[in-house]
Amino acid sequence: MTGHAVLRRDPAVAVAVVVLWLLLALFVVYPFATLLARVLVDRGSFSVEGLATVLTDRHQVRAFWNSLLLGVLVGVGGTIVGFLFAFTAARCRLPRWLLTVIDAAVLLPLVSPPFTTAIAMIFSFGPRGLITYELLGLKGATVYGLASTLASEVMTYFPIAYLTLRPLLAAIDSNVEGMALSLGASRWRVFRTVTLPLCVPGLANAFLLLFAASLADFATPLILAGNQFPVLPTQAYLQITGLFDLRGGAALSLVLLVPALAVFLLQRYWVSRRYYVTVTGKGAGQAPFDSVSPAIRAALLAACAFVALAILYFYVLLLYASLVVALGANHAFTLQHYRVIFTEGLKVIGDTLIIAGIAMPLGGLYGILLGYLVTKKSFPGRRTMEVVSMVNYALPGTIVGIAYLIAFNDPPIELAGTALLIIACYVFRYGPTGIRATIALLQQIDKSLEEASQGLGAGTGTTFRRITLPLILPAFFAGLGVVFIRSMTAISATIFLVSLSWSLITVKILENMTELSLGPAAAFSVLVVVIVFVVIAIIGRLLRVFRAPGAAQVTSMLGG
Amino acid sequence: MTRETIGVAIEGISKRYSHRVKGEVWAAREVRLDVAPGEFVTLLGPSGCGKTTTLRMVAGFEHPDEGRIRFGEQDVTGVPANRRGIGFVFQNYALFPHLSVAENVAYGLGVRGVPAAEIASRVAEVLGLVGLAGYEHQFSSQLSGGEQQRVALARAIVIRPRVLLFDEPLSNLDAKLRVQMRTEIRELQRRLAITTLYVTHDQEEAMAVSDRIAVMNQGSVVQEGSAQDLYHRPVNEFVATFVGRVNLLPGRITGLSEGGGSVAVLGTTVRVRAIPASVAVGDAVRLVLRPEAIGIAPAGGGPVAASVVSHAFLGEKIEYDLRCGDVPLHAVRYNAGPGIVMPDGATVALSLAEDALAVLPGSGS
Repeated sequence: MTGHAVLRRDPAVAVAVVVLWLLLALFVVYPFATLLARVLVDRGSFSVEGLATVLTDRHQVRAFWNSLLLGVLVGVGGTIVGFLFAFTAARCRLPRWLLTVIDAAVLLPLVSPPFTTAIAMIFSFGPRGLITYELLGLKGATVYGLASTLASEVMTYFPIAYLTLRPLLAAIDSNVEGMALSLGASRWRVFRTVTLPLCVPGLANAFLLLFAASLADFATPLILAGNQFPVLPTQAYLQITGLFDLRGGAALSLVLLVPALAVFLLQRYWVSRRYYVTVTGKGAGQAPFDSVSPAIRAALLAACAFVALAILYFYVLLLYASLVVALGANHAFTLQHYRVIFTEGLKVIGDTLIIAGIAMPLGGLYGILLGYLVTKKSFPGRRTMEVVSMVNYALPGTIVGIAYLIAFNDPPIELAGTALLIIACYVFRYGPTGIRATIALLQQIDKSLEEASQGLGAGTGTTFRRITLPLILPAFFAGLGVVFIRSMTAISATIFLVSLSWSLITVKILENMTELSLGPAAAFSVLVVVIVFVVIAIIGRLLRVFRAPGAAQVTSMLGG
Repeated sequence: MTRETIGVAIEGISKRYSHRVKGEVWAAREVRLDVAPGEFVTLLGPSGCGKTTTLRMVAGFEHPDEGRIRFGEQDVTGVPANRRGIGFVFQNYALFPHLSVAENVAYGLGVRGVPAAEIASRVAEVLGLVGLAGYEHQFSSQLSGGEQQRVALARAIVIRPRVLLFDEPLSNLDAKLRVQMRTEIRELQRRLAITTLYVTHDQEEAMAVSDRIAVMNQGSVVQEGSAQDLYHRPVNEFVATFVGRVNLLPGRITGLSEGGGSVAVLGTTVRVRAIPASVAVGDAVRLVLRPEAIGIAPAGGGPVAASVVSHAFLGEKIEYDLRCGDVPLHAVRYNAGPGIVMPDGATVALSLAEDALAVLPGSGS
């Protein structure tokens, strides 16, 4: 049966496919094409002059290498910390409450606005920092540069490695490790010759994900990297907002595309084929023996506790900073900062909630609709649609933001400064999480389930409503959650899209930071963390209520 | 092989778990079992009977709450798995997926610091032994189930273990391969004379491979003995029904004599040799009547009359469902030639083979 025949027989599918293609063309293909055109076309003819200008500027070349260096270091550091946590959680036979603590410690950085650790770093290690100035009495400590950016990004992104590695460790057949032990290997030898080699693809994957995250990170280096350590995303931003050089910024963002694309291809065509272990989400059961000795267990726990305490300290510090007059100078209790954000800042809070509130259901719907269509229906261009839908998700936010800015600033489609553009940006950038979750869930649902329903006399509609829909509902909620969280916390793309009429909390935090009003910045950050936690709790509850018993679990609501 | 052959003594080991619903559960309860040097002993029982837990405690993967385990003279109760000198074969083979066949087999030798040249020759030798010469560079994902099983076996025996342990090794294979592999395992074990403890829930498999079988139920060993002992002289209803098929018929002891007694059953009296010492004349008992111990002849040929309810012709044998009064009976006759099948509804005369009968005390539930 050809795809065309399916479309003729099923007009609803045909309409949905056409609408989705139009939207993808408008919000994914068109902006990216405009960006390329702006950089590579000069007065109507192809020209690499724009790129050449960037590539020969020594300062920008340094930014490029800095970005790569930072990415590699964050990749290595974050993977190590993530593996430490994943291994401890999967192999140390921890009591339930301790696992909950680990999960919470890991969740916190994932759902925080991007500046949180950066702000806390400044509070702790800045010239008047709690640790450098108050505790150690150092005068004129400089927090800005590679070390603090690295520490802050590792702290922010290691949970990605944790979420990649923990299911992998849990899925390793415990008998394989037991076998090695029974053949006479010591615990350390089992770890070195069996456990670790089986994790190599996961470690590589975690490294690539972290490398990409660091490459795309805009907020942390903007605050912490300083003048001595320029990186590409901040250079592109400064080129546009500081020098009003849209073309130069676009060219810089395109340079960022090269390593980002390399990572994507490596992941898709190299790492994904080297997995020995199939991660099904179903654990292979308890370890068959105590795979770590009591001493090692204690050491692992201590290391995890150290990182978790550091995270906790950062957040407590943030809360504290929002409740005192001026951290480092005047520690008198005050609610002044909250008064400020709920008066002067009220509009931006409202804007953010409206945008996130609209983007959330649209993104969730977009996710399961597209995911369902490309998995279960055959129509022309199905594979292409799946790939195109992933583009905005895979690209660093800076590229997407600049592309949107260039594409929608001028006629024919003038959307710059509107809430619609910001919402579209979030839906097409973070909706793909829901797509991936839907596809993953649908692929686990055996075809015979739907056939059994049809065999019992149910039509296509009833089968979808009674069988398929309940089983992919978790993906819908996962999509909702991610779109909402990112709408509250993202900045790299949308910083180019805000206007006087529509702005975002994250952008406001950045403004506060540059004006050195750290109190309100801390108060805003606390507010975002609280809102996000409340929403996650609600969605978690909904997931439990609606998840069909036995339906596959969405591996991670926050992955990617 | 160079290593001395030793026996295994399991001395009253117990393992308890706390279960969310059931509270404290005994996974194994005072299990006692001796495996003689070079002997092949099987733990047989239904799932959840504690056989795998017992095996894993012998391996050192789990530790008993009470009791001791000895390998020869050595008490290994507190010795970790990697210093017990065991070879373990898992149900799912547990091959190292990142290593080739040769590297899998060589793993245990590498751990023991065997020189590379000797490793190569021993790996080649053992792969030849299990019929996998030439598979050295394959990976487990390229092998069939039977081949994976052979690699797992080779990997376990190449280290010349003091004790070889099998945990349901054939469950993942298809029926034909299962029969072939169990023969190979048995022959290999005999040839190498490795003391072996084997776990299965398949009574036929247990009978085919073992010198001796220990039947387990609810955490305890309920009977141990040769396959014939278990089959012909079960100590209780569990063993009688778990090992082979059986008709348990209510009866009464009518007389006892030297080496046997007589039992009233099915309206007649039969002589039985295997009578437990605990029963007395007049006691209600159950007669253990195996399906193949029932002789079937045309009506009038014996003391017990029955009718054929249904039958199934299976080639080498014919299975009958019979009814004798209101007692249902299951019988099996071997096909002795064409034209001897009794049709459904026929009235037949039954005879009971006295040598094959046994008695269980009590009238059962």
